[in-house]
Amino acid sequence: MAEEKDVVELREKVARAAQLLLYRRHMQPGVKAWELKRDLGRNYAEILKVLDGELQKLGLTVKKVSEGEEGSESVRYFVTMRGHPPVSEVRTFGWRIDDMAILAVSLSYILSKRGKAPLKEVERILGEKFPRWRVEQDIDRFIRRGYLEEDDEGVLYVGWRTRAEVDQKALLGLLLGREKKGKESEGQAPK
Amino acid sequence: MVGDRERKELMLRIIDLCESVSGRGVDPFDVEVKEFFERLREILPKLREREELFLDIEAVLGLANVVFHQGEWIKYKSSMLYFDPMLIMWKLHALPPSELAEVFAGSWHPILDMECISPHGIKEAMDYWTNLPSLEDRGAKLDAVEVLPGEIAAQELERLGVLSEEEFVATLERAWKELKGKANGGEISYWDFIAARTFERTVSRAWLVSFLVSYGYATLEVKPLEEEILLKPLPKPMKLERVVTFSVPIAISRSEWLRRRSHG
Repeated sequence: MAEEKDVVELREKVARAAQLLLYRRHMQPGVKAWELKRDLGRNYAEILKVLDGELQKLGLTVKKVSEGEEGSESVRYFVTMRGHPPVSEVRTFGWRIDDMAILAVSLSYILSKRGKAPLKEVERILGEKFPRWRVEQDIDRFIRRGYLEEDDEGVLYVGWRTRAEVDQKALLGLLLGREKKGKESEGQAPK
Repeated sequence: MVGDRERKELMLRIIDLCESVSGRGVDPFDVEVKEFFERLREILPKLREREELFLDIEAVLGLANVVFHQGEWIKYKSSMLYFDPMLIMWKLHALPPSELAEVFAGSWHPILDMECISPHGIKEAMDYWTNLPSLEDRGAKLDAVEVLPGEIAAQELERLGVLSEEEFVATLERAWKELKGKANGGEISYWDFIAARTFERTVSRAWLVSFLVSYGYATLEVKPLEEEILLKPLPKPMKLERVVTFSVPIAISRSEWLRRRSHG
């Protein structure tokens, strides 16, 4: 009887955790660790583990992002896609190919510069492939949406949303592993 | 013998180099720390003036900071995230936008979140609607004055040497094209369109918009009820004949710009 009560209580807490994580309650999505602790109790990490198992069946996962010192209360949890969407699908999310390419270049450049790079340099590199107005418009948008951060001195950093959504190691790995299409066909040419 | 001027120049050069490491992301290993310390040691006994001594302290602190950055760089290089920056740059130059987009999509796991209105929000909306004054009352309180159109022609700027006609037309066309792109066949909020990273740039964009509207590239619609101003680009620039026009003064203060920027 007691066991049954525990199961019911656990189910209720998992459902509550799903509601907290999926419904936006603040300006930014996600929930802070202290909020989860307050609503779900001290063993909130265990409840999130159960929720993650359930979300896995739907192709989703619970992502933990540290915003400050590891183990501090500033840890934030999000629900993200477990896999990544194909490019054709991303376009239906309202992203253009150029938008994705601009963000890929900005992030890769910033990461290659140990996590920070002057805005002017990023704009100069992007200016080689994209019109200036699009570069400025997209960088502004990415700053507003949290993919990038800019300080008072005009230096760009990786933003909170990038930390939550982008597998930075995979981004650089995919970039370096990608061959130019022309080169591939050259390589296949008979000797 | 190293003169006063050379000593000062050396210290300023070291300070500038150190600042470029922390500020502009220059590779800290490009700085010859040991050599610079030796040079500073050589000139130290010859420093007499207080200003020179301050520069010396600043240069030493700068070099110490470079050493700190070298340590951070080594830590970063040994981390999982290290890839050769030159190789990354080469790839960024070589790949077309479609390939870069695929790279991004391949590493992207978008956040899933939903928006919903809470009972508290519904109550607030209801209170707002109940207490909303009538259209007439609100219109009377609008902080806008109808004035006769004034003259601030591009020719005037051209006369003053601020802008050539060709440059101005090209700038206007670019802004029009951008407006069409952003409005996507419809209309766009005036504030969303002029918003830029700096206040100066925002004012400059607002200035351009005033020409777009005056020269018939776009129309401006003021919605007093919603307190919203909408911009609608026209498919072709239209000459405004037999149309009653009036000026709409829109104040752009730095505080307003900051408020809107912080609210995204």
